[in-house]
Amino acid sequence: MKLTKSLLHLRHSGRIIYWAYKAKYKNEIIHRLVRRREMGSFTNYIIRRLLFMIPVLLGITMIIYFVGSLAGNPKDIIRLSFRVITPQQMAYLEHYFHLDQPIYIRYFYYLWDLIHGNLGISLTSGRPVIDEIGPWVWTSMYLQLSALALSVLIGIPVGIYSAKRQYSKSDYAVTGIAIFGYSMPTFWLATMMIILFSFRLGWLPAFGASGGYLGYWWGNWFMDRIAHLIIPMSVLAYVEVATFVRLIRGSMLEILRQDYILAGYASGLKERTIIWKHALKNAITPVLTIIGLSIATALASAPALETATTWPGLGYYFVQAAQSLDLITVEGITVIITVLVLITSMILDFLYGYLDPRVRIT
Amino acid sequence: METQVSTVEPQKRRAASQWAITWRRFKRNKSAIAGLAIVIAFVLFGTVGTFFAPYPQRSHEALYQGQAGQPPSWRHPFGTEPSGIDVFSDSIWGTTNDLYVAVAATILAVGIGVLIGGVAGYTKGLISDAVMAITQVFFVIPTLLLILFFAKVFQVLVFQGYGLTLIVIILGVFGWPGITYVVRGQILSTRELEFVQAAKAIGASGSRILLRHIIPNVMTPVIVLASLTTAGNILTEVVISYLGFGDANQATWGQLIEEGYAAGLSIYWWVAFFPGLLTVILVLGFNLLGDGLSDALNPRLRE
Repeated sequence: MKLTKSLLHLRHSGRIIYWAYKAKYKNEIIHRLVRRREMGSFTNYIIRRLLFMIPVLLGITMIIYFVGSLAGNPKDIIRLSFRVITPQQMAYLEHYFHLDQPIYIRYFYYLWDLIHGNLGISLTSGRPVIDEIGPWVWTSMYLQLSALALSVLIGIPVGIYSAKRQYSKSDYAVTGIAIFGYSMPTFWLATMMIILFSFRLGWLPAFGASGGYLGYWWGNWFMDRIAHLIIPMSVLAYVEVATFVRLIRGSMLEILRQDYILAGYASGLKERTIIWKHALKNAITPVLTIIGLSIATALASAPALETATTWPGLGYYFVQAAQSLDLITVEGITVIITVLVLITSMILDFLYGYLDPRVRIT
Repeated sequence: METQVSTVEPQKRRAASQWAITWRRFKRNKSAIAGLAIVIAFVLFGTVGTFFAPYPQRSHEALYQGQAGQPPSWRHPFGTEPSGIDVFSDSIWGTTNDLYVAVAATILAVGIGVLIGGVAGYTKGLISDAVMAITQVFFVIPTLLLILFFAKVFQVLVFQGYGLTLIVIILGVFGWPGITYVVRGQILSTRELEFVQAAKAIGASGSRILLRHIIPNVMTPVIVLASLTTAGNILTEVVISYLGFGDANQATWGQLIEEGYAAGLSIYWWVAFFPGLLTVILVLGFNLLGDGLSDALNPRLRE
């Protein structure tokens, strides 16, 4: 019951989620063992997981739609941004948003559009939300994925090292740095780095994802992207490394105490083989859950960091849309992120079953 | 033949209570004590400190004293904003407000989580399944986005002027699913343990099992989770105010960081720096406290 690890919405609440997941999976494992025969085939399982998406999406669209409608109807929100608007235009908007119908009927119109892949038209920019979201997803994704790759590359070896030398000075140093990492508001750390490296030293760009018309940093298009990536990526990576180190360290410590590791040593295996081949495979399973979750949920937790670094991703535009009450865009972004989270957690479950035979579905 | 009679009375010593054992182990853990000290220091800072705060909340007094936009000095330890707000003074008020939001939201979330987890753990069949399905829905939705959106809609448009209490309710309403999973898992696994089965076998009543066995076992992780949830709530609150979804009439750390942005980071760095530093330290304190508690409350680590 060593309470270590993880991250989700914000880094911090990570360990709670991890623990919750562990509790959840424990029951799931028992459940599956008992009902293995009734479980049915792999396809069945996929279908059930896909069916689970329906209530989740229904729930979230309902919450967002009805709460959003408290903010006023789209017609009035559009009117705020126009000085002159003719009665004909207003009548058209009323027709377009089905404002003559009661709200629950409008919700079904909305669902009908959603099923057809139509997320509506942004109230502020006037462009289809689905076209606008594409580049945002991409910008957010490459920030998140590069940070994740970096943190896995650093976090796993450091965590193993720290577990091998438990209670040594380097272990204390690593855990000390790590605990700072997940107590850190990412956006604040990014701000401080911008003050230091951009404003004081002038080494790195202060905002945006690319130089654009201001001219390229470090020569060409590619290096320009890298230069802009450094601050947000290193902040994210630091926080994620902190998480992974604690996770890996905790689960490694548990694994290294087990008999089969001792048996490995007794039969003369090299330490490297034992740790990297036998121990890591078991230690990585819980970590994998978190890594997978972090891909999707980091998208949802990015608003503050992306705003602080003016990174034009989903989080940044979500904040913009929510501030200007662009209900349609808010709904669109939330739905997209929810779908991403669900798909990731589905893939994760398969991987989990692959790595841990006890949860494998026959 | 003399029989050797033992003159030593068998010692009657009361077994140390669970809390005494926990406290003894907690005391030995230096980082846990450090965490507790940080939390206590901040609680004092936010309560007693307000009586010594040089300025009232959100006061632009320094502007009229010709002290606007000053860097940190003895008179203004954290500097002042260009608009005349003393950062040190508002940081004290911010401590009060942030602690109120974080702790109250945690109490709400733990309350909801334990209640729902208890229902899910104690019922079978349809009710339990339905409750867990709802929990799962709340578990996978992107909570932070909803929190921000709700804060905007309710704060700005529907319930103007409720300020921090609204944030408390929003954070609490979205904060419970993790706790529910843990509570339900603990109830289910505790009920199957041998000693509970044994208690049942010798005829212990349902309420006795609940009070003596289930609740102590559920309490342990909930206490730890409460500490970690508080840390999380502080961070979320800072994010909410920083992004401008909070109540601008209340001094919070996030609000100060946001004003640091508005003032211009390259010159007035101190406006954003000090409140952020306080956040890091307090969150660190709650995290250390939570980790220390989880070690101290873990019966398997008992020596």
